[in-house]
Order: sequence, then C-alpha cells, then structure tokens
Amino acid sequence: MGNLIKTEWYKLKKDRSFRFLTLMLLALSVLFPLIEFDNGGPNLPLVKDYYLESILATHNNIVKLIPSILAGFYISAEYAMGTMKSIASSGNNRIKIYFAKLIVFSIGTVIISLILPIFMTGTSAIYFGFEELPAWSFYFGTIGLIVLYGAAFASIMAFFSIIFTDSGKTIGFLLMFFIFIDWPLQVLAAKVPIFEPVVNHSVFKLIYDISIVSSLGGSELFKLVLVPIVTFFVFGILGSFIYLRKEIK
Amino acid sequence: MSDYILKTNQLSKKYKNKMAVDKVSMSIKSGSIYGFIGQNGAGKSTLIRLITGLAYPTDGTFELFEKKSGQELIATRKRIGTIIEGPALYPQMTAVENLEAHRLLKGIPGKEGIIKTLEIVNLQDTGRIKVKNFSLGMKQRLGLAIALLGDPEFLILDEPINGLDPMGVVEIRELLKKLNHEYGITILISSHILSELHLLATHYGIIHNGELIEQLSAKELNEKCQLYIHIKVDDLNKATAVIETQLATRAFEVMPDGTLKLFAFTDTPGKVSKILTDAGLIIEEFMPMGEDLETYFSHLIGGVKNG
Repeated sequence: MGNLIKTEWYKLKKDRSFRFLTLMLLALSVLFPLIEFDNGGPNLPLVKDYYLESILATHNNIVKLIPSILAGFYISAEYAMGTMKSIASSGNNRIKIYFAKLIVFSIGTVIISLILPIFMTGTSAIYFGFEELPAWSFYFGTIGLIVLYGAAFASIMAFFSIIFTDSGKTIGFLLMFFIFIDWPLQVLAAKVPIFEPVVNHSVFKLIYDISIVSSLGGSELFKLVLVPIVTFFVFGILGSFIYLRKEIK
Repeated sequence: MSDYILKTNQLSKKYKNKMAVDKVSMSIKSGSIYGFIGQNGAGKSTLIRLITGLAYPTDGTFELFEKKSGQELIATRKRIGTIIEGPALYPQMTAVENLEAHRLLKGIPGKEGIIKTLEIVNLQDTGRIKVKNFSLGMKQRLGLAIALLGDPEFLILDEPINGLDPMGVVEIRELLKKLNHEYGITILISSHILSELHLLATHYGIIHNGELIEQLSAKELNEKCQLYIHIKVDDLNKATAVIETQLATRAFEVMPDGTLKLFAFTDTPGKVSKILTDAGLIIEEFMPMGEDLETYFSHLIGGVKNG
C-alpha cells in the first residue's frame, strides 16, 4: 500500500491540473481581498467577518466544484492514457489501488479546499489588520471540518470518476451534479418524508453548517463530524467494489 | 518447478453473445518467445487482458508461475512486464519521470535501474523532453522500458512494433532476442507483422475467432511450411505432362498466374530442370521456395489456399 500511495502522490505533484488549480486559488487569495482593500477606504472589514462572510461562504462551492476538475484529470484520464492498465496489472490488489488513489486524491482536494481559508485569511489580515482575527477555536474548528468535508466530497467524486472512463464526461457530470444536487434533494426531503432525515444528515446539507459551528450543541457537532467520515468510507467501499469488478479497456 | 510460465485451461471470455476467447488451452514454456498470431478481433488482446487481470474469464482457468487464483496470482504479476494495446505513458512527464512513477508502482527499490533501462532502449538522452513530444517510435521504446523495469521474468507485449520505422523494428527485434538469450526472459508477443514474428519466435500460437487453432514450435512450423519449386515455362500443359510422365508425380499445383508449384523433388531441383529442358521447354523462372509464416497462417485459417 505504501508504494501505491507514493506513486499516487508522485503523480499528483506532477499533475498539471492540480498545479494550475492550486496556483489559481493562491492568486485569488492574494488578489480578491485586495479588491476589498482598494474599495474599502477607512471602512475595511474585520478579518473575522471577512472570514465568515467571504471565505467560508465561497468555500462551499470551492470544495465541491474545483476538485471535480481535478477528479477528471487525475483519475478518469488514466483510462484514456492507458496507464490504468499498467496500474491494474502491476501485481497490486485492486482495492488497495483504489484506496491509495482515493487517499491521495482526498489530500489533493483538501489542499485545494484549504487554500482560501488559510491563505486568504492571511492576506486579508495583512490588508485589513491583525486586530480582529477569528477566534482560534472557531478558526481551527472550521479548518478541521473543511478537511473532513473535502475528503467526503473527494470520495464521492472518486466514485463517479472510476465509473466514467473519460475525463470530459467526469468533469461535466460532477460539475452538473454538484451545482444542481441541492435543489432536488430539498424537493425530495419535502415531498418524501422518509428521505428527509437522510437528506438532513447528508454532507450536501451539513456542509452549510460549518460556518455556524460555534453555535452548535454537542450532538449537532458530533453529527457534523461523523457524517463526512461515514460518507468517505461508504463511497470509498462502493468505489473500490466497482473498481474491483470493472474490466479495464 | 514447472517448465511453463503460463498455462491456460479451456479459458473463455464471452461478451454479450460473442465468444471473444473460446476454450483456449495454451502453454508458454519458460525461456521461449511465443508468437501470438491472429487477425484483428481474433481474441489476442482479450486473452492478454485476461492473463494480466484487466478482464475476468467467463469460464476456464489459467496458471501464471504455477499460481492459479487469489492474492498469489495477483502478486505474480509483479514478475511480469507488459505493453497492452500500446504503451501506457503520462504525456506531461519526461521519460525518467514516467519510469519513476512505474518504479514506485512496482515497489522497486533504488533509482539506478531507471537510467540502465533507458540505455537499453536508447532513450537516455531525452532529458527534459516531455513524452507528449516523443515520436511514436520513442513512445513504443519507452513503453518497452517500462515493461523491462524491475527485471521481469515474463514480458507480455501486445503489438510492440506498431508504428515503428524499419530501423526501429530491427532494433526492437534485436533487443527482444538479447533479452531472451542473455537474460532468459520469456516473451509473449502478438503482432500482425508475421514476417517479424517469424524472425523472432521460438513457438507460435494461432488464434482465430477466439479459438486457438494451432500451437507449434518454430521447428515444427518450418517442417510444416511446405517446400516447393516455383516454375514458369513457355508451355504449361507440356510441362505438366512431362512432370507427370517423366517424374511420375502429381504433387504439383497450377497457379492462376500460369506458374507451377512442384512439391516433390525439392531436394533435387537440378534433376527437374534437366528433364524440363531436355523436353524442349524454355524455363523462364525456376526457384526452390518455401511457405512463409504469412502463407501458412493464411492457409490455416482458410483464407488463401481455397481461394
């Protein structure tokens, strides 16, 4: 398993889409608060408000949409390049191969997801001042949750990426899926009562609670932590099962 | 220890209503170069995909290094190097980076093998050039380098000389011979360039419509490839009459282009030419010849001889 993770990490580091997306988000981290700084004059926002309203609010889309592009290029493209054949015939167990890919893809997704909360918070503090930073407990709590939700969404993305054997299809499907999934889930929860608890306990719904983590009670917090972990493993197991059975062309 | 690297037993693969591989029982001896011959869609690649674990058999079994199933069979694939339907390469990486990715995948310790392997395929000077800018021949050679990484005992090469220029074909042929003779690597090679296989293989398996219709050694093939004397004379009817009467044989075939194939007296062509000349015939062409692999293959699958 160690050599598989090393291989995947090596490939992630060399992946152009990963490098591009990371650089793009880093540039955004530097430039986006600058617009506020330029327009704000004497009424610059407080960093803690900026973190809550601009960074965490944007993060919901970043964690779902940007890694979808990486999933297409990093996972599905292996079929088109033929490298999936050499991986599957390398003498390694397919379940281990899948989990190595999932772990490293999750790390890539988490890195992408953390750029704005870390770097944009840093640059906004430089621009707006260090006086009113977010409370450390709140800040690290949200960072921890972003890591968990990033991994959970990565597991869902990896599941679909292994089904589709074409990066274009994967990216198109995942973007459409994550853009539009909230609305049908809300309708489903409203119309079919049996689905309501499922939808309310899904990562799709709970990701919006990250920004209110400081106001949540013990059981709510437990749910917020547990659901992405369960999602990661459920989709990981489903994905590995599909990959195990899949014939690679 | 068995003499065989690979043995299949009634191995079958069905896609919808079509048998892509139909009860194939083949065996590949350790140290051999096994030429796998068949038309497009005959089942060569499907069989290779079954052996390498990319697809699963519908029926039948196979043994690889005497391992039949489970984790042991999966692990034996570490002893194999493959090119399956073209080289598997990361286009954005350099040759060294591609080999490094595959070295990590196979869990091969140390990076020393990378340069050594690149030298074997003559790609050691590609430097920072990304694989997407390689020629087809360079990609094929890099694919071969990846297959050779980690000193495999068994190479499975599906159409490895596709797209190579004539010099590249010769280079790969000589390289494969060297790997087989000097390092004792067993090779399964499929190619539709039969003349190349004929120069390389020690054993052959011929597959048609998913069925293995013949398996034979190079020696057996050479014995089976009929020798004949190709004759062209000014009077074909007279020549056939002379052969029938004076040589007392009917072992000949009149070809549509007006030539004769004489399958007897192949060890005494001088006697034949003398009799024809003495009979007043003018000999325009006279050559002892033998069937090549291509002709043999065509006859076997019924495409030529009855045409």
